[in-house]
Amino acid sequence: MSHKSIFNKTAAVFTASLIAIGALGVVSPAKAIINCTNATSDGNGCTVLNILYFGDVIEPALVTAYKKIHPEIKLNYVRKDLDPLNGTILVNNCATGGMNDPDIASIEVSYAGYWKSYPQCFTNLNTMHSTDGNKSAADIKSQFLAWRWDQGVGNDKSVIGIPTDVGGLQVAYRWDLLKLAGLPYQRDAVSAQWNTWDKFIAFGKRYMTAVKSASFKSALTALTKSKDKATRDFYKTQAPLSFVDNVATVYASILNQGTQKYYADNGTPTGKTIYKTNPQVKLAFDTTVAASKSGIGARIGQFSSDWNVGMTKGTFATMLAPAWMMDYIKGQAPATAGKWDIANIPGGGGNQGGSQLAIPKGAKHKQAAWDFITWYLAPAQQLTVFQTYGLFPSTKTLYTSGDLVGFKDPFFNNAQVGSIYVKGILKLKPIFEGKKERCIDMAMGSALSLVINGKEKVPAKAFTKGLSDADKCN
Amino acid sequence: MSQNTVARRTSKPPSPWKPVTPSRKLSNPNAVVSLNGRWGYIFTAPFFVMFLIFGLAPIIYSVYIAFFDWDALGTKVFIGMDNFTNLMADDRFWNAMVNTFDIWLMSTIPMLIISISLAAVLHSPFLKGSTFWRTILLVPNITSVLAIAIVFGQLFGRDFGIVNDIIGALGFPHVDFIQGTQSSHIAIASMIVWRWTGYNALIFLAAMLAVPGELYESASLDGASKWQQFRYVTLPSLRNTITFVLIVGTIGGLQVFAEPLILGGSYNGGDSGQFSTLTLFLFDQAFVAYKWGYAAAIGIMITVIVSIVSIINFYITRKLAGEKK
Repeated sequence: MSHKSIFNKTAAVFTASLIAIGALGVVSPAKAIINCTNATSDGNGCTVLNILYFGDVIEPALVTAYKKIHPEIKLNYVRKDLDPLNGTILVNNCATGGMNDPDIASIEVSYAGYWKSYPQCFTNLNTMHSTDGNKSAADIKSQFLAWRWDQGVGNDKSVIGIPTDVGGLQVAYRWDLLKLAGLPYQRDAVSAQWNTWDKFIAFGKRYMTAVKSASFKSALTALTKSKDKATRDFYKTQAPLSFVDNVATVYASILNQGTQKYYADNGTPTGKTIYKTNPQVKLAFDTTVAASKSGIGARIGQFSSDWNVGMTKGTFATMLAPAWMMDYIKGQAPATAGKWDIANIPGGGGNQGGSQLAIPKGAKHKQAAWDFITWYLAPAQQLTVFQTYGLFPSTKTLYTSGDLVGFKDPFFNNAQVGSIYVKGILKLKPIFEGKKERCIDMAMGSALSLVINGKEKVPAKAFTKGLSDADKCN
Repeated sequence: MSQNTVARRTSKPPSPWKPVTPSRKLSNPNAVVSLNGRWGYIFTAPFFVMFLIFGLAPIIYSVYIAFFDWDALGTKVFIGMDNFTNLMADDRFWNAMVNTFDIWLMSTIPMLIISISLAAVLHSPFLKGSTFWRTILLVPNITSVLAIAIVFGQLFGRDFGIVNDIIGALGFPHVDFIQGTQSSHIAIASMIVWRWTGYNALIFLAAMLAVPGELYESASLDGASKWQQFRYVTLPSLRNTITFVLIVGTIGGLQVFAEPLILGGSYNGGDSGQFSTLTLFLFDQAFVAYKWGYAAAIGIMITVIVSIVSIINFYITRKLAGEKK
């Protein structure tokens, strides 16, 4: 640590203490009467903290909880439904000197590679010190998953964002359908049966054969004639049955199970692209093509209406599900309660989704913002978010806590979802992500889709097209 | 203009657009004129100032950045015409162009036919409660595109969509509307048709109401049937309106954005870009790939294409109209 940074730290501690004293002296007596619920701007003892985010990063129950602890803070949060819009606002703000920056902004992990290249747009969180406990980013780093933490570290090693939840990735499956098909259906058994991707495809083929068999059809017909009306209605399936919703999800999963994706860390801040030579990319592509050719996929786009309905109707027996997807399944297919289970993903771990909370350079209330972030992303709050909304904590200190690993979900046949996801998440290694990560990923995904949807018969041609489209990202 | 077939034969009627001569009673007409001029500038200033800031300045700036390689935050690197030459060689651009024109054709032609027919029905003196029907025609137009796209996405669902339920009931296999190229264009075109047909029907209705009644009277005296009256009196009178609707439709049709975005739920216009349109491609390049120079070049190309198509439109409609004299 250089002399200068020690000085900075001392100064910051001093300032923080001053703020703390100020808080005790000025705010505390007023705490009882202060009400900032309707505050639209700073003043009258209120501080308006502007938060710009995408998706479900900021949860309402915790916002209410924070208001009780800090009545002087009004959290003014703006949610964007499209992730590029969120990013575009930050780009515009940064390009214009940060005049209109929010106090806190969320960065979706698929854009992490881009923002890491522009740490100058953000406050280096190593220089911030929380009012409560005087913690900087460096002080809380050890609580978080290393690979997740790295997604918020800029190319100059400054910390630009603190991880919110981690997606994880496991297989959610309909045990009742597997049982009907005469296949193993208990979570340990199926996890063992499909511990590699090739075996997953083979298992899927067995399911596809089984659902076409006379015995499966008669078993299903028997259920549709059951005395119980709910059972009768439930098994009235109108669509053809498939094993997995969309094989395209296999691609990203395999890619994340490696140690490198599209970029290699060559010591420079930008890294170098290796998508043309990385065998993991080819492997992920080829395995997905094989899965597609085996006919186990329903070719349904995630979040489409067919997918939402199919979840109830059993159109697909399995889907690769990040932890946050469990909540989505419950919302979309309440009738399937107890018929789902969670098994291990083939090949180890996986991840899909997650964000970082950052303080843009031009934020007006950096101290209040940092205080909120350190509180909101502390293990205790992440546990509450998991229990209430199903978002999985990124703080590994929780991964041994009984509240998390012991957490069972009756909707998923009482699976110990906490420990299942922990197992997969801990297997992931940090992967170097470059500036054009998302663009390259979209190019490869489009190429893959050409094969999956039968528009390109020669997979090698699609692969070449994906690579050449990826070249256009730079 | 809409009545010049008649106007040639009889004496020219006084044009309603002829400026009214200023009153001679004013003692100093010049003062009024100059005052009018000055106030005119002041009254129109808000528009022009806003246009300069939000219209002209961004246009000029995007022409400027089209010659640079720029990822929005890093340094701009001047690369001359490279963005344009790369664009010409980019199959995604041509794919988006073909998709855009296909969707435009498939939406414009049915829309013209349906809206003119609807206008003719509304024009009929036998229709009861015409104000009600006219109002109801505008409802699709004021519905949010987002809602339309979500509902149509469900209608065209492969497994559980109503359209496929009907197709299935007729004994045909289900169509995967969203994954297919041509079928996804049908889905998007139907959204556009649903949204704009009523609006255009009202424009055609206004034009039909402007056709002088004497024309129909003389036509029926000459023994023309209702269809002949429509074909030889109403339609020729609509040609300026058709040109207008076509040009506005072209500008809108070549900028189709929200429908494919929501239908696919992503910026690449379907999993394999099967309904990627020019504007969606622009958005994707600007805000997902962060290639602002390239996106600006796409924007310029869209402008060029819209201009060319509008000119072609204009001449074709003129020519068609000319032949009917």
